[in-house]
Amino acid sequence: MRVWTSQLLTLRTLEHLYMLFVALFFSILLGVLIGVLTYKNRKLAASVLNSLNVVETIPDVALLVLLLPIFGIGVGPTIVASILYSILPIARNTYTGLSNVPREYIEIADALGLTQREVLFKVRFPLSLPLIAGGIRIAVVFTMGVVTLGGLIAAGGLGAALQNGIQLYDMGTILITGAWVGLIAVILDGIAGMIENIFKARYGK
Amino acid sequence: MILTGEVLQATLEHLLLAYAALAAGILVAAPLIFFSLYSAKLASLIMKFSNLVQAIPSFAVVALVVPLIGIGFTPAVIAIMLRVLLPIIKNTYIGLFNVDPALIESSKGIGLSEFQIIRHVRLPNAYPAIFAGIKFAAILANSIAVLTALIGGGGLGSIIFEGLTNFNTTKVLAGTLPVIGIALFLDFSFSRIEHWLTPEYLQK
Repeated sequence: MRVWTSQLLTLRTLEHLYMLFVALFFSILLGVLIGVLTYKNRKLAASVLNSLNVVETIPDVALLVLLLPIFGIGVGPTIVASILYSILPIARNTYTGLSNVPREYIEIADALGLTQREVLFKVRFPLSLPLIAGGIRIAVVFTMGVVTLGGLIAAGGLGAALQNGIQLYDMGTILITGAWVGLIAVILDGIAGMIENIFKARYGK
Repeated sequence: MILTGEVLQATLEHLLLAYAALAAGILVAAPLIFFSLYSAKLASLIMKFSNLVQAIPSFAVVALVVPLIGIGFTPAVIAIMLRVLLPIIKNTYIGLFNVDPALIESSKGIGLSEFQIIRHVRLPNAYPAIFAGIKFAAILANSIAVLTALIGGGGLGSIIFEGLTNFNTTKVLAGTLPVIGIALFLDFSFSRIEHWLTPEYLQK
């Protein structure tokens, strides 16, 4: 209780979730968009997905630090870094989902006289939803990780409380904040997993 | 230019930290995987636990090591090891169990023992997946080794964080660029080795 009030954990949690949801919103938007665009333009696909892959290999702290001169310190670079990391799993899964729809479905849709656009949005897209949801689940984990790191560059959130704990060598703060962050992460992952399973049940695997 | 020596030393420290942890991770993962080959219950337990732990942010794992184990080089190695363990186990497991059932049946048909099937059928089929797991783990180890500078692990992270607190951009870059260089080098070299290790009949 002492730790909870002295480290303002209620406020920190709200800051944390705010950054998380803003970042996720844009990641999903951009990820699905890039996924659809790469599906429509196959030549682009390899180069776009490969360059996103390179971003993924950059250590998260290094990426955050590199964004500092461009976006200042605090919330800005944290959200941008989260988005940069989270686009790849969503875009890649969208692309894979759209490309791997069984032939029969497409042939039936063609036979019914659906246009290319209708095939994409009414057949391919719904059938890729389970995979896209899987990508979003990975993105939730990535975003949670980067947002926690944001505490190191003055973005607030629960990472700030963790850093305080380490600097003050205050075991209580570290244990309580660490366990709380872990719990939130596991719960969010569980919710994302449930959504993925709902789509799987609805649209096949 | 005084920085060059410092950066060089930090880079060596960084590599030592990350790879001591990776090696420890592989050593711990191997028996776990070996036992789970013989017990489906243990295997599913390990997988469930791995998935759960993987959701927890690295920073929280690194921080939690402090009250539980302490600060310094060894706790840093343990923190990184805990983190890289999961992708290795998960990928090996997926590789070993996603073998075409027909292949296993026909191996039984020609009279191979359980051990021979693991040795000559399951393992070669799992190489690409195992390797992908180790590649991911290596890149992850590099990334978390930066963070463990906060708990006294040393390495390039300590240069980055020192630069951050003093608003010293040169210093920040002197720490950041080698870290990124290592990451890109790992990605490239592992992809080459992966290609080289994959049995011909599995290459696309």
